[in-house]
Amino acid sequence: MIRTLTLSAALAGMAALSSPAGAETIGVALASTTNPFYIAMQRGIEERAAELGHDVVTVSVDEDVVAQVDGVLDLVAREVDGILISPIDAVATNQAYEAAHEAGIPIVSVARHSSSEFQTLFVAMDEVQIGRDIADWLIEAIGGEGEVAMIAGPSGAATFRNLAQGFREVVNANDAVTIVFETEVPLTREEGLRVAEDILVAHPEVDGIYGGNDELALGAAQAVAAVGMSGDIVITGMNGVPPAIAAVRNGDLGLTVQLNPVAWGRLGVDTMDTIFGGTIPDQEVFIDHRLVDATNVD
Amino acid sequence: MTSTDQATGSDTPRRRPFAAALSVLLNQAPLLVLVALCLTTVLNEPRFMSPINLTNITLQASVLAVVAMGMTYVIIAGGFDLSVGSIVALSGCIGAMVMLELGPVVGALAGVVIGAAVGAVNGFFVAYLRLNPFIATLGTMVAIRGLVLLITHAQPIVGDEGLPRSFVLYGRERFLGLPLLTWTPIVLFFILAYVLERTAYGRKLYAAGGGPEAAFLAGIPVKRIKASSYVWSGALAGVAGVMLAARLQSGQPTSGEFYELLSIAAVVLGGASLYGGEGRLYKTIIGLMIIIVLSNSLNLMDVDSHWQDIAIGAVILLAASVDQLRHRLR
Repeated sequence: MIRTLTLSAALAGMAALSSPAGAETIGVALASTTNPFYIAMQRGIEERAAELGHDVVTVSVDEDVVAQVDGVLDLVAREVDGILISPIDAVATNQAYEAAHEAGIPIVSVARHSSSEFQTLFVAMDEVQIGRDIADWLIEAIGGEGEVAMIAGPSGAATFRNLAQGFREVVNANDAVTIVFETEVPLTREEGLRVAEDILVAHPEVDGIYGGNDELALGAAQAVAAVGMSGDIVITGMNGVPPAIAAVRNGDLGLTVQLNPVAWGRLGVDTMDTIFGGTIPDQEVFIDHRLVDATNVD
Repeated sequence: MTSTDQATGSDTPRRRPFAAALSVLLNQAPLLVLVALCLTTVLNEPRFMSPINLTNITLQASVLAVVAMGMTYVIIAGGFDLSVGSIVALSGCIGAMVMLELGPVVGALAGVVIGAAVGAVNGFFVAYLRLNPFIATLGTMVAIRGLVLLITHAQPIVGDEGLPRSFVLYGRERFLGLPLLTWTPIVLFFILAYVLERTAYGRKLYAAGGGPEAAFLAGIPVKRIKASSYVWSGALAGVAGVMLAARLQSGQPTSGEFYELLSIAAVVLGGASLYGGEGRLYKTIIGLMIIIVLSNSLNLMDVDSHWQDIAIGAVILLAASVDQLRHRLR
């Protein structure tokens, strides 16, 4: 079957042997063992746990929600002291949160959010703030005045709603910049391309385009390049995936935002450590993000 | 000695006593493996026997148990069903969609009925068009998975305010300490075992699988019996899909993957013959518990998942070899 517990790294084990009393065991159930994002997050978790003298027991699942729920049940049976989870589905993992809650084990979501009332805490990215930062950067990049268009992700997902909200907030507060077009589309390159083509026809004076994620932004960049306007119209993305980084490097894309999964994992462990210490941080625990543009892409 | 012992014992004098003893032992090999597995685990990790872990095991086994019981029917009747995993996803999603409109009871029924309908299609292709069961159910497995992704747009079915409260409670609540999800296969087990072993229909299933020609000559409607085994399998996969939707509080279009292989493995581990006409429901449950306990115990003992796969594969090979040996001793 497709899940496992591995006592990770000799490091953690050795740290446990030499660590002061009070070393706790953290159960980890991330969403994937093959996705580079989660591999990096797992590394961050293991590094930080070793530094703090905690043990890590990992349930590995590959986007299989039943295996994740079963794995968390096994962690609960193993009586771990806390659980870090990146829930594959916000609703389908509810049973895992309930089991942890019943056993009195704190369960903290990392990167992905759960709808369960028993989620102890959510270590998130500050989506609204990221939206604001993108807007600040874009306004400066277009010279402080002009027209911008928004190709946002679906607002049914909280992430994209929050990003767009932060962006809109800042732009609307600036009288010199207007949002001339706004839409929500599925997060594919094809949609970004299609919508950007329409924008270029309807608003030929547009100076900047906000893409809700990198795929939308890369699609918009293709449309802009097709009319020979690369560099004249500034496009922003979000996520910092490798093709987006490459596009920033060659100038097709103005900006992407990188989230550091290693730091995210470390922050998860720090948060859990605080909970072990007896205090539950308030619900706003955010991972740092980094704006990547031509000045710092390499 | 009872009369049945004498009846079955009538041919034993021709065998050597050692072989006879070995045969009895091999007959119960799956049970012995399960007991040994539990003992080994509990010696290494006492928490294996904790109430919470025992409940976990039953919960982890419950959905697959229902699928595996349906698979037992098909395999006894000489067939094979690869489509059960896709049916689990289809029934879970259709059930969730219907219950958002018409309530939990109608939704659950819809899930089971759609599973039975797919089973009937399988039965038609295999029994009446005489397609190889492997090919026929491979076709429905792939097509049904596509259908699920199509009708759900590959998104989980949750509804705006979640699935009906009473349905979610079915996936969560307990009765006499056991989850309701665990009671479902327990109740089904007694019904299905009764049908299989105490009714004329059950005997016909064995006959149709064990010797179709002889069964036909004896006046058994072999085609209809074989087709009906797929309806059982489909309907039970439908029940499993509804159960899984309750457990996940949503219809998940990608759920049920590998369930066909795990349930076939459970039946084979229980000692049923893939040539049909053989198999007992309780042995399938033992076979399934070997898979579930193996995974759980390796989890508790911190063994890497890749080792778990290897161990389960090895146990299947071992079980099949034991089965061959047992047949030769007859």
